Amino acid sequence: MANADTIAATATAPGRGGIGVLRVSGPRVPAIAEAMLGACPRPRHATLGDFRDADDRLIDQGLALYFPAPHSYTGEDVLELQGHGGVAVQRLLLARALALGARLAEPGEFTKRAFLAGKLDLAQAEAVADLIDAASAQAARSAARSLEGEFSRRVDALVAGLVEARMYLEATLDFPEEELEGHAASRTRADVAALLGQVRDVERAASAGRLLREGLRVVLAGQPNVGKSSLLNRLAGDEVAIVTALPGTTRDPIRETLSLEGIPLHVTDTAGLRETTDAVERIGVEKAWGALAKADVVLLVLDAREGRRVADRAVLARVPAGVPVVEVHNKIDLGCEAARVPGEEGASAVFVSALTGEGMDDLKRAVLALAGRVPSTEGAFMARERHVRALARARTHLEGAGEPGLGPELVAEELRLAQEALNTITGAFGADDLLGEIFSRFCIGK
Amino acid sequence: MTLSPDFDVIVVGGGHAGTEAALAAARMGARTLLVTQSIETLGQMSCNPSIGGIGKGHLVKEIDALGGAMAQAADEAGIQFRILNSSKGPAVRATRAQADRTLYRQAIRVRLEGQPNLWLFQQAVEDLRVEGDAVRGIVTQIGLTFTARAVVLTTGTFLAGLIHVGQSHYAAGRAGDPPASALAARLRELALPAGRLKTGTPPRLDGRSLDYRVMERQPGDDPVPVFSFLGHPSQHPAQLPCWATRTSEATHDIIRGGLSRSPLYTGVIEGVGPRYCPSIEDKVVRFSAKDSHPIFVEPEGLGTHEVYPNGISTSLPYDVQLALVHSIPGFERAHITRPGYAIEYDYFDPRGLRRSLETRALAGLFFAGQINGTTGYEEAAAQGLLAGINAALQAQGREPWCPRREEAYLGVMVDDLVTRGVTEPYRMFTSRAEYRLRLREDNADLRLTEIGRQLGLVGDERWARFEAKREAIAREIGRLKSTWIHPQTVPPEAAQALVGRALEREYALYDLLRRPEVTIRQLAATVDREGGQVPPEVAEQVEIQAKYQGYIERQEAEVERLRAQEDLRLPDDLDYAALTGLSTEVRQKLARHRPETLGQAARISGVTPAALSVLLVHLRRAAAGRTPPAPRQGLAS
Repeated sequence: MANADTIAATATAPGRGGIGVLRVSGPRVPAIAEAMLGACPRPRHATLGDFRDADDRLIDQGLALYFPAPHSYTGEDVLELQGHGGVAVQRLLLARALALGARLAEPGEFTKRAFLAGKLDLAQAEAVADLIDAASAQAARSAARSLEGEFSRRVDALVAGLVEARMYLEATLDFPEEELEGHAASRTRADVAALLGQVRDVERAASAGRLLREGLRVVLAGQPNVGKSSLLNRLAGDEVAIVTALPGTTRDPIRETLSLEGIPLHVTDTAGLRETTDAVERIGVEKAWGALAKADVVLLVLDAREGRRVADRAVLARVPAGVPVVEVHNKIDLGCEAARVPGEEGASAVFVSALTGEGMDDLKRAVLALAGRVPSTEGAFMARERHVRALARARTHLEGAGEPGLGPELVAEELRLAQEALNTITGAFGADDLLGEIFSRFCIGK
Repeated sequence: MTLSPDFDVIVVGGGHAGTEAALAAARMGARTLLVTQSIETLGQMSCNPSIGGIGKGHLVKEIDALGGAMAQAADEAGIQFRILNSSKGPAVRATRAQADRTLYRQAIRVRLEGQPNLWLFQQAVEDLRVEGDAVRGIVTQIGLTFTARAVVLTTGTFLAGLIHVGQSHYAAGRAGDPPASALAARLRELALPAGRLKTGTPPRLDGRSLDYRVMERQPGDDPVPVFSFLGHPSQHPAQLPCWATRTSEATHDIIRGGLSRSPLYTGVIEGVGPRYCPSIEDKVVRFSAKDSHPIFVEPEGLGTHEVYPNGISTSLPYDVQLALVHSIPGFERAHITRPGYAIEYDYFDPRGLRRSLETRALAGLFFAGQINGTTGYEEAAAQGLLAGINAALQAQGREPWCPRREEAYLGVMVDDLVTRGVTEPYRMFTSRAEYRLRLREDNADLRLTEIGRQLGLVGDERWARFEAKREAIAREIGRLKSTWIHPQTVPPEAAQALVGRALEREYALYDLLRRPEVTIRQLAATVDREGGQVPPEVAEQVEIQAKYQGYIERQEAEVERLRAQEDLRLPDDLDYAALTGLSTEVRQKLARHRPETLGQAARISGVTPAALSVLLVHLRRAAAGRTPPAPRQGLAS
């Protein structure tokens, strides 16, 4: 079976350091290579190149390898781009390949293609079968992990709403003479508008897009003199805030934009959050509360020797619900061997020294992970990408369904396609299931 | 006693499936014998007196495009015609006719008797003649044996049929006809997986005893639609209205009071009934919040006063039926001419069939209609047609044929049946068709007449008219695509009328037609000087194709993407239990369903894309056999 389509995937574990590999296989490879590199690289040679986006801006630099068919792993044209591996960069490279006509590879699909092209020993068939099985099971687990909690609930609610809208609409199409309750004939437009709002929300929550565009708002909070500014300097790598040993020297919340794994972090160093009579300082404190309200992640900086204090709880009480908090126990260099207890009330805890840099990697990892947007394994990365793509497809079809003047059978077609897109996240929901919903809700039949 | 000569095809049963099967086989040149219990009831409408409806009308038009009888018979027997969903898009519009039962039987019988290569014979069939694992003929009630290369069974509700009225029940094929018990016992011996289904009818009423003044009159459409591509309204007999009334609270109280003697609610009936065609007692119990259900009073024919009160199908005892009928406005003094009843019958799991409708168990044995777990005249007729085609093809040593899901509702139905099986009587709905926008009544001829011609089903007259229409459509589309209008030459008021504003650039007329608000008639009235000259059916087709073009193209891309998967055949003897990389659940499902193609496997619930990949890998290994593998090159995994 010749493959008409071209597949792409990120092939190595994305995340910290190392090399990230974008692998593309299929007939569109030469065109994709030319678009991303400016020219198709010399076959079977490692070529240093610039990887560029649609506006010819540099995404990354690295090695490009091109294997024309049939002398490649899959037997098809294959392109590999080995870049610097940051999550954001990997996403951009993958998105570019997909925009150029590739589709996301299924788990184990490169190996499957290799086998089908006769590149693997027939005796390996069972191993290949097992690998596909294991890879898809792992992808499913990763997907489940990456979709836990709130996101998953919102997807479920979206699907339930879509099924409901389709149930009413399809009932009016297949049973025009029945008496259908619930204003079946007139509700579709409102249903579609509501679903569209919902899918956009979910998409925003799931998408790396906002992260890439806008970055992550990180707020350093904590009592005076626990070392917030030193921590910011350590994160930034240069002196941006005035650091003194006197409480209250940071008057204004200072914003510094750092890049962590290619993701912009807008770090706000708040003035010590405490009651004050100093008019100037009070302005700083109020600005700090404002920053806290808009945070994506709050780093609650503590003195490791003291742990959480009463005033810290007052700060925590003002962190909006759902915003992750990391307890940063600073100054571990001061010889304290306090028990490294986990954070309170679900907050994670890291132990660092802003002075020596010890523990800073843990802190960076915790920030990215807690943002909920940086899965740490290849499986989860690809799983999340698939889900984001599925949501985007569903949204496109819901937008189509919302076009004014569209006949009901065409709205139904768009909703069916939206459901098919979401099926890739939630599992199949077919015509029989839909008819079941209709028959259980309406008294159908003469 | 074996009678010669040998037939090519024997069809058992003379209902909607059997008659279409026999006609199709004979048209294809197969020597065909139709054996029925009663020549009088050939083409009998056992349930409601209507043909078509949403999804079903689509099937009727497909049968017609393949040269079948149902649409033409409906045109000759129809006493009321309507287009349902006429305010919605063309894909979901459907034709329905109320039919005079007697005229319908006549129209079918005339066709059967006038069909060359077709012989009729009246006898109950009691046994099959089997040699090895192939069927070779049939044995009748009085021991006559007829031999054939292929046998089509269309047993309807006759296989071990059991009629229930209240607590009493008796063996029957339908009210007034004996069941086929011996054949049922014989088929059960063949160890085909079997089950029981149930359906029902309402009591019939004497129209003279009804008070129509309190009912709502429901006339047919004007102008009167036709069913067949070759049909004309002048073929229709006199037209009659239907009437509507409703159940009352009193009706529901009477029904609830009778449930203790209902065979349905006392566990006497084992068969599963359809959820979309519930008995009135089911509706009252399951939707207890509704205080009234509609009833449609449908005329049984021009030559009778009998009417069919659609909506009160019931198997309650006769005294309860009488009381509930009398509680309905307009029915207060109604006389019941025939009690309502439920009937249970045998069906065979359609997953035991190939897409040709040939059983996997016995070569040359085909099933069509209710025996496969479906309900409805149209579903039966469409399967009968397909089974007749494939029986003839087999007798002639040709390859089997079945339309794909994107080609016909017939293809959707057969694929659903053989892939998924049934859990209740299967009825067609448009929501079952993922390619609904392609599968329309209006283009059934364009989808199927050509293949029908190749199969030998389509006569010269239909073919000539079809070709003329198809060419006219192509010509008109070509003309509209090559006719350009320019902003300077279009008067602003014409542009305003057409698209609501002035034109900003040149347009081909066809591109204007693709806009939702522009019709072909408007074009002719404003900017298309040569327009308005093609026949209305051509203009309609051009307009629909233009409006749906973007959607159809998207669906075609989808079809194309899945084509390789749909075409990849799975060997009949594939040992699923031995395949690694598949979960136990998937292995069991595949072993039970035995899909014919990878595409069918994909439609079995629980079979994941990963499982399909695994299957593909195993298939490739099996196919490659001992060919040495190519040397490994390129990157490492």
